[in-house]
Amino acid sequence: MDILKIRDAADVEQAVQAALADERPLEIIGHGSKRAIGQTQAADAVLDLSALDAVVSYEPNELLLTVGAGAPLADVLSLIDSKNQHFAFEPMNPARLLGTGDDAGTIGGMLASGLAGPRRVKDGGARDHLLGAHAVSGFGETFKTGGKVVKNVTGYDLCKLLCGSWGTLAVMTEVTLKVMPRPESQRTLVLRGLDDLAAVRAMTAALGSPYDVSGAAHLPAAVLRHPDSGMAGVGDGRALTLLRLEGIDASVKHRAGSLTAALASHGAVDGLDDDASAGLWQAVRDVTPFAAIGAFGAWPVWRIVCPPAAGGRLGEALAADTGGAVLYDWGGGLIWVALPGADDARAALVRGRAEAAGGHAMLIRAPQSLRDATDVFHPQQSGVAALTRRVKHSFDPKDIFNRGRMTRGTTP
Amino acid sequence: MSIKMPLPDAGVLGRRDEIVADLRRIVPGEGVISSAAEMVPYESDALNSYRQPPMVVVLPDTTEQVAQVLKYCHANGIRVVPRGSGTSLSGGSLPLADAVLLGMGKFKRIREIDFDNRIVVTEPGVTNLAISQAVAHAGFYYAPDPSSQIACSIGGNIAENSGGVHCLKYGMTTNNVLGCEIVLITGEILRIGGKALECAGYDLMGVITGSEGLLGVVTEITVRILQKPETARAVMAGFPSVESAGECVARIIAAGIIPAGMEIMDKPATAAAEAFVNAGYPLDVEALLIVELDGPKVEVDELILRVDAIARACGQTTCQISNSEQERLLFWAGRKAAFPAVGRISPDYICMDGTIPRGRLAEALTRIRELSEKYQLRCANVFHAGDGNLHPLILFDANLPGEMDRAEAFGADILRTCVELGGVLTGEHGVGVEKRDLMPEMFTEIDLNQQQRLKCAFDSQGLLNPGKVFPTLHRCAELGRVHVHAGKLAFPELPRF
Ligand SMILES: Cc1cc2nc3c(=O)[nH]c(=O)nc-3n(C[C@H](O)[C@H](O)[C@H](O)COP(=O)(O)OP(=O)(O)OC[C@H]3O[C@@H](n4cnc5c(N)ncnc54)[C@H](O)[C@@H]3O)c2cc1C
Repeated sequence: MDILKIRDAADVEQAVQAALADERPLEIIGHGSKRAIGQTQAADAVLDLSALDAVVSYEPNELLLTVGAGAPLADVLSLIDSKNQHFAFEPMNPARLLGTGDDAGTIGGMLASGLAGPRRVKDGGARDHLLGAHAVSGFGETFKTGGKVVKNVTGYDLCKLLCGSWGTLAVMTEVTLKVMPRPESQRTLVLRGLDDLAAVRAMTAALGSPYDVSGAAHLPAAVLRHPDSGMAGVGDGRALTLLRLEGIDASVKHRAGSLTAALASHGAVDGLDDDASAGLWQAVRDVTPFAAIGAFGAWPVWRIVCPPAAGGRLGEALAADTGGAVLYDWGGGLIWVALPGADDARAALVRGRAEAAGGHAMLIRAPQSLRDATDVFHPQQSGVAALTRRVKHSFDPKDIFNRGRMTRGTTP
Repeated sequence: MSIKMPLPDAGVLGRRDEIVADLRRIVPGEGVISSAAEMVPYESDALNSYRQPPMVVVLPDTTEQVAQVLKYCHANGIRVVPRGSGTSLSGGSLPLADAVLLGMGKFKRIREIDFDNRIVVTEPGVTNLAISQAVAHAGFYYAPDPSSQIACSIGGNIAENSGGVHCLKYGMTTNNVLGCEIVLITGEILRIGGKALECAGYDLMGVITGSEGLLGVVTEITVRILQKPETARAVMAGFPSVESAGECVARIIAAGIIPAGMEIMDKPATAAAEAFVNAGYPLDVEALLIVELDGPKVEVDELILRVDAIARACGQTTCQISNSEQERLLFWAGRKAAFPAVGRISPDYICMDGTIPRGRLAEALTRIRELSEKYQLRCANVFHAGDGNLHPLILFDANLPGEMDRAEAFGADILRTCVELGGVLTGEHGVGVEKRDLMPEMFTEIDLNQQQRLKCAFDSQGLLNPGKVFPTLHRCAELGRVHVHAGKLAFPELPRF
């Protein structure tokens, strides 16, 4: 298969027009770090955007960053870190979960996958931080949406659609993101030995408090038992319920005290400060307990998003029914489920339960054969599915971008 | 009214009586209003220089009725304009002579309050403030707070992606909604998202928010609610120039502080507000900056000191720090009433809404001053300074010949200036009819075509709220055509591996 190395945005337009002329589908990649996610695609050529790596402008005082879509995420993160800023949605690095190269990943891939980390509960997702984009549509035209200001309602907000579209709508070439000041300090409160239901109750209480909790995760004992969980040294083998507080030092200390008191009826609380706390949240963000090289590495992994308060019951039932392991983020609103191999990763069971709880499930890690036999993305109700197809065709009428990645059975 | 709206469909107008009778069968009783006198209140929204009686007003009170009305209109090629409370400042709910005005005012019920999941499920006709009031007993509130919050509907907020003084820290409407029930023009009822933080598939909720009533009629909304911060305090600092106030804003952000709100008023706006509410504003400063900090007391107290130090370094000449809730509310009273306050000193005014990069505030103001002289019209300025959103209020008298046109031309020039300075036409009020014809200042034809293609995915006949947002309307069939560039080599000249 041809790999087309794009040199600039004009190349993208040219390549798309050529692909259109022949109706040859294209696979769109940055570094290709997330290629193992999604259905098998039909592609005649790969469009490699990694050379669109320029930092076009970075204005810390405006909280604005404009970069080429192929800019390496790791470089961009260290650039903004040098000004004490960050992406508040805490983009996940799925390398360990998927077993791919560690520092790979581009800004374009970060946005197209839209996988937000623990701070999602407080500061939103990638979709809340993409302010503007230049992109090439499946009509072979370069269009612009949004702007280079933090507040804008001029025209439809196409940025929202681009985030989480897994490269199926348009090829982003340049994007403007909102960056935020990095909190000066952080502290994690830890409750130990809670079962899943009790943990979600504690997280619900914390998130419903005025103490501005910026992360709420629960790691059942089963996922901590393995030495390679990424959580070694934190616990004594009992389940961990983690609540993160961030901000200026005095405020963090004050809120830690108030929250500890407010949670008294849920159990004893102790705490971890800055570095230890940061390491822990990185492990939660990247789901390292389910790392590809770890104890659960051979199992397929589901990513379930559901109403947070329903998470405990849902996760517990899934673990019991499948013999799998679960871990919770977003106060119970994000459940990662690793379960022992089966031909369809227990799709019907997982999806049935997720739906009953008001959520949806994506099969984020599985061998290709399994993905070929299962819908990776949660099937939609027929009216929404039809609208989704019309939206896809309004950007990409010939279905040339990442054909079949989000919908099974559309490729031969 | 200087803007061209789509020509009325004579066939539809000719069948008016029949259409009214059909609609009465769907929405019985008082839900269909067809007498000229009773339709007067629906002739305009808050952009009241634009007026147009609708063909008929329909006020459904169930989703099923909405679906049937839309299905009927779709089958009969009848245009529909949705309306919430009619407070749009951009003419979003301006009727059309041949269209059904679909008022959502009867959707007044809050359907569910779920504190554990921190959400409220509400009907679209509920006012923004009523949501906060419904959860206040448990210490919660709904964060986006447009100044019109006692009147505007949450459905209108979704359509306009409304903001407020607190959206600097807490986000606009789009950052605070999770799902909706929406009826398409075909009458199809869809559920998008729900109580979960993300929906499956494309972020359709994200694009419905801010779509100005052009994609569908929203009949239910799930919003996020937050626990009220423990305390809030405000600093009110006067500056000898708008430049120095703008510099202060930039340095606060650069210091890593995101205040709950950060607003500037210029001298004319300050004077008008002070005369209206007696908030104790200093009248001898060129710019008044209000910065609000919220959170735990220790945090607020420390940040107040940091902000005060920055304001000093930027040359503030007056400074007051609120020491009680009463005082804090007093600081805000004038700012929140700035529009009506200006309304008292001028027979008419229009409110502009461009956004610029924060750093170019001073430049923008100088340009606005020059334009004010050129057009010989006064202008008072209030800004959501934290996010660069300007609200120049242009004062005029519609009874004086030519003033209205001059005011509109002045406004258009301000918005062009915003785009020139790297900004956008509207930060929170929407495009509507008001800024429709300025869209090409910011977008190319290709950009606008792509947006209209999305519209086609929802409404292929262009029946929902036509004449808003887009300066030129294209047929969907034409927009959907792919122009293959014949004779192109397969992937010419690109390096391959
Ligand atoms: C004094 C004053 C102060 C204001 N302050 C602010 C402010 O601080 N911030 C701000 O952002 N705005 C402000 N506004 C503007 C206005 O209040 C907002 O745009 C508000 O969201 C409009 O709500 P509404 O219910 O009045 O909608 P309407 O004016 O009735 O309609 C607005 C748009 O929404 C569509 N619509 C309404 N309901 C639905 C529905 N159920 N489904 C689909 N489409 C629908 C209409 O078609 C129209 O396009 C202010 C207005 C005034 C008059």
